[in-house]
Amino acid sequence: MGTKWRRALLEGLLLCLVFFVIFGPISSLLIWSIAIRWYWPHVLPQEIGLAYWKQALGLQRDWAIAAVSIWGAFGTSMLVALVSTALVMTMAIPAGYALARFRVPLKALILLLFLMPKAFPQQPIFVNLLPTFTRWGLAGTVQGVILIHILVCLIFGVWITTSAFKAIPQELEEAARSVGATRWRTFWKVLLPLAAPGLLVSTVFVFITSLTEFTGTFFIGLPFVTTLPMLLYSSSGYNMQFASVIAIVLLIPSLLFMVLIQRVFRPEYMGGIAG
Amino acid sequence: MPEVKLDGVTKRYGKVTAVDRLDLVVRDGEILTLLGPSGCGKTTTLRCIAGFVVPDEGRIFLGEEEVTRLPPEKRDIGFVFQNYALWPHMTVFQNLAFGLQLRRTPKEEIGKRVREVLSLVRLSGMEDRYPRQLSGGQQQRVALARALVLRPRVLLLDEPLSNLDAKLREEMRFEIRELQRQLGITAIYVTHDQAEALVLSDRIAVLNEGRLVQLGTPEEIYQRPANRFVAGFIGLSSFVEARVASVEADGATLETEDGVRFRVPKGSLAEGQTIVLAIRPEHVEILAAPSEELENVFQAEVLRAAYLGNSIDCRLRLGKWELRTQLPPGKIPSPGEKLWIRLPPEKLILVEA
Repeated sequence: MGTKWRRALLEGLLLCLVFFVIFGPISSLLIWSIAIRWYWPHVLPQEIGLAYWKQALGLQRDWAIAAVSIWGAFGTSMLVALVSTALVMTMAIPAGYALARFRVPLKALILLLFLMPKAFPQQPIFVNLLPTFTRWGLAGTVQGVILIHILVCLIFGVWITTSAFKAIPQELEEAARSVGATRWRTFWKVLLPLAAPGLLVSTVFVFITSLTEFTGTFFIGLPFVTTLPMLLYSSSGYNMQFASVIAIVLLIPSLLFMVLIQRVFRPEYMGGIAG
Repeated sequence: MPEVKLDGVTKRYGKVTAVDRLDLVVRDGEILTLLGPSGCGKTTTLRCIAGFVVPDEGRIFLGEEEVTRLPPEKRDIGFVFQNYALWPHMTVFQNLAFGLQLRRTPKEEIGKRVREVLSLVRLSGMEDRYPRQLSGGQQQRVALARALVLRPRVLLLDEPLSNLDAKLREEMRFEIRELQRQLGITAIYVTHDQAEALVLSDRIAVLNEGRLVQLGTPEEIYQRPANRFVAGFIGLSSFVEARVASVEADGATLETEDGVRFRVPKGSLAEGQTIVLAIRPEHVEILAAPSEELENVFQAEVLRAAYLGNSIDCRLRLGKWELRTQLPPGKIPSPGEKLWIRLPPEKLILVEA
């Protein structure tokens, strides 16, 4: 059984490599987040401790440590990301279904319209939007930030959702209709379960995009709305420890989602769609 | 079981007319095949009957009821798709039970009917498998079972066997035929495979370019094709164009432009008329020696011959015309060899030019 061992060894090595490629760069974040003193030319910090973590998590208050509690910003970030994601997906799922299944007039134009905010440099757009948002009383509010996040995220939502629905053969729907399911039933019982992995990917993408969005939040949210990325940008450069703590906190949702996706991608679903 | 009636059904896609004023009646309990080359409108016709496509003009009836604009879920039809279209996230049982659940059938009844129909298609015990765990032939039978379990008014089959290998396809033809007879269900079967159509149909409707070209039993279609298209599409035929040289009491004489003369039954031929002779491979008789008494005896030259195992496929040249025939296995003739052949007048098929 030499080949079996060799195969296991190869898989192990490959796994280590993947692990290193993904987590290698992140490990430096981890080290930075626990470094109290770390000066050139030392390879590792001279003094380590959890001071920045404690301070960031609001467990202590020490004026000597340049970090503030991140809970407020974390809460704002989660609120904005969850609400934006929910709103984007409630728009993207019907829109994606329609774009995938019906002959929508001006389909190309509609998809292009969604693409527009991404086709131009972000800053001019947001600067241009600021007076409008101010007039509507949305500048500097959480609602305004949510609106700007929706604008930024809708593209991902709609495009990925459209292709998720497109990937499902039309005959699977027709088969459901032929056995007596209404269009609505067919959507719930056949289309949605089959599109679920794609929709989940789309949701995760939108959520992460919103969670890490900076530019729009900066222009529209300032000075009253502070999200985690805002905190991160304002401390990065001069305060690597605090920035690293925030960066790691921002990574957590992605890691959780990866685990979730792995559970949802069931092989029975994916295989044999076309028979 | 009601009959299915199409009344002037027309469907256009942009400038292309997929189905062109089609009138058709499918009789109660028969299996009718829509046969034609790809793009002839047979699948569009079937999809109109299923309700997946709404015709631009014309009306469709299931029994007394007009269903032209009724959504598919209200038509009470069974549809078998070319790619089976089994729901991959459901087990075989769930695939079959879905339609029954929608009809609020009691649970025990669902179980009973699913088991019944699974044994009918010889898949008992496969209830808990997922479609991807089944072979192509098994998936195909599940698709059939899913359509049958609801006891629909009409069974519609869209090239259901074209994804199977040749051997399985041949078996399934008989199986489908057998099931349809046994259940007495009205069925419409779409195929481009003439052998399939001949084997399993009560009647065949030959379509070309969206129009009904000929409707009849397999024998009628094969033996008396309505025109050159049908003669060419069903069975192998060689064609010879000729002019009616003379009409006598006991038959007519045709002459091709290169001077080959054929005797044919008189029928309703008129002198001077141009006509096409369709000659089936099996109607070319090989003679050991020339004969004075027999009609239509010619000397033909072998163009090429191919060994097929149980026969020899042979192309002959007669004048400028190419004839295809099948010889019994034996010595394979070499190109250039001369053979005496006879074309029995009563077997020659005459179609309009």
